Amino acid sequence: MRRVFDRFLTGLTALCALIGVSIILMIVAAVVWRGGGAISWDFLTDQIRLVGASGGIFYNILGTLILLVTALAVSAPFAFGIALTHGVFLRKTRSRERLMMWIYVLNGVPSILLGLLGFIVFVLFLGWGKSWLTGGILLGMMMVPTVAVSLSERIQALPSRYLDAAAGLGLTESQRIWSVILPQSFGGWVTGSLLGLARAAGETAPIMFTATIFAGATLPTGIKENPVLSLPYHIFILAQDSFDPATGEKLWGAALVLLLLVFSLSLAALPLRLHLHEEAKTS
Amino acid sequence: MNTKAFTPAETCSTTEAAPKRPVLECQNLSVFAGSKCILREISLSIAENQVFGMVGPSGAGKSTLLRAFNRLIDLQPNFRIEGTIRLNGNDIYERSVDPDQLRSRVGMLFQQPVVFPASIEDNVLFGLRHHRKLSRSEKATEVESALRSAALWDEVKERLKESALRLSVGQQQRLCLARTLAVNPEIILMDEPTSALDARSTESIEQLIVELKKQRTIVLVTHNLGQARRVTDWIACLCPSKESGSGQLLESACCDSFFESPTCRTVFRQIPDDELLPPA
Repeated sequence: MRRVFDRFLTGLTALCALIGVSIILMIVAAVVWRGGGAISWDFLTDQIRLVGASGGIFYNILGTLILLVTALAVSAPFAFGIALTHGVFLRKTRSRERLMMWIYVLNGVPSILLGLLGFIVFVLFLGWGKSWLTGGILLGMMMVPTVAVSLSERIQALPSRYLDAAAGLGLTESQRIWSVILPQSFGGWVTGSLLGLARAAGETAPIMFTATIFAGATLPTGIKENPVLSLPYHIFILAQDSFDPATGEKLWGAALVLLLLVFSLSLAALPLRLHLHEEAKTS
Repeated sequence: MNTKAFTPAETCSTTEAAPKRPVLECQNLSVFAGSKCILREISLSIAENQVFGMVGPSGAGKSTLLRAFNRLIDLQPNFRIEGTIRLNGNDIYERSVDPDQLRSRVGMLFQQPVVFPASIEDNVLFGLRHHRKLSRSEKATEVESALRSAALWDEVKERLKESALRLSVGQQQRLCLARTLAVNPEIILMDEPTSALDARSTESIEQLIVELKKQRTIVLVTHNLGQARRVTDWIACLCPSKESGSGQLLESACCDSFFESPTCRTVFRQIPDDELLPPA
């Protein structure tokens, strides 16, 4: 009886896994099937024409990359600050737990709320209008929890003998941070950032009122009133507003490019994550 | 010298003919982790240019005592000490003392060699470069002299830029010693420095210890009584008390008389290495 039940559970688990994987595969297959035809050199290097029915997505790719690089730069100092506070400066377990709780709360904030916050603070209050910098800052905020958690896990896993050895040589706390903790947890920052970027790349809600427009922007030349084009917003508008069948293939093509971008970021993080696990095994 | 129950025999035939100046002393030192007492009322005195051995079964608090000597214990949450530790007559737990500066004067060598994932050269300079600015030529001189003092120079002089992780465990331990020596501490605390090493590496570390005491004071925790006999001048024996489990000082005596002490012989039987006991 127990054996049958055991087999049943194993089968059920396998079925769940199979369903999960096949949903992803179906989405990927649909996007590749419908968008594959749109991908060409011109599509990747030309700018948008005829409200998306013609031309390419060059500035959308560039805009998304600008937003991502800004987000990366914005998230790093906050993530390092939080991870060091958690792993080094806070001595009490209770305060550490409390800090972590707030990080998870921040992680759970719906992205549309971040978008509204950005709209109120940057667009209206600071008077920036739509700006790439606002989008970068908001996406950076979204990334902070992922990066901070990944970093502090790395710091936590750092064998204490390294810190003891450095302290035993008379290094001060800041010297220990700079020469032991940061170099040794650098991989955690890379992993967390790649995962965070992969998520931020596809976000529409935080940037739709604050940073991105559908057409008419190229490279930003300043901060105020300097929006960029972006892939997710492009897909969103084409999917929602366009009745022109010619845009259909372009829409799927843009989705495929976005999917490939996110995929390659996640994939780049994979070897680093595996490497981390190997290190944990040997130490 | 604070000894309990047993006064060292007057026939101390070691180099301790004339009493030397105490460098490190502790008086009624107790260490607590939370509410648990790990060490209770330890009083001992370590003389200059001496190899001071500490033996005792596991859990006797030997490593904790070492960590109290250079305040590495401060980095462990919930640890608290009572009593005093004096370095050259000055209380090291006084408010005005900078623990980081203290640790550069009281170096430490650990049970497992801890090398950083960097070149051999960078490992040697790891501590020193934080204490003062070094020119390129000074760096080269410091690296050579530290590696020579740790008897590693001849083996690595051709490959100073290579990763230190490629060295054998024995070489890594000598590299750690070189790194500690580069900072030029007055005292070196060694926490079972040879327990991870093979016989040949152990022998070379032991020779180094004897060599180093000409200029420095060494506190050596060891499980190996043979090693204690070979290299130490004075030995303290710590043992956890039967009732509370907190470590207590059973004996502190010059090496020769120490091995004849009846209290210590009882304790030695609890140490796995007791085959090294001198014949009764």
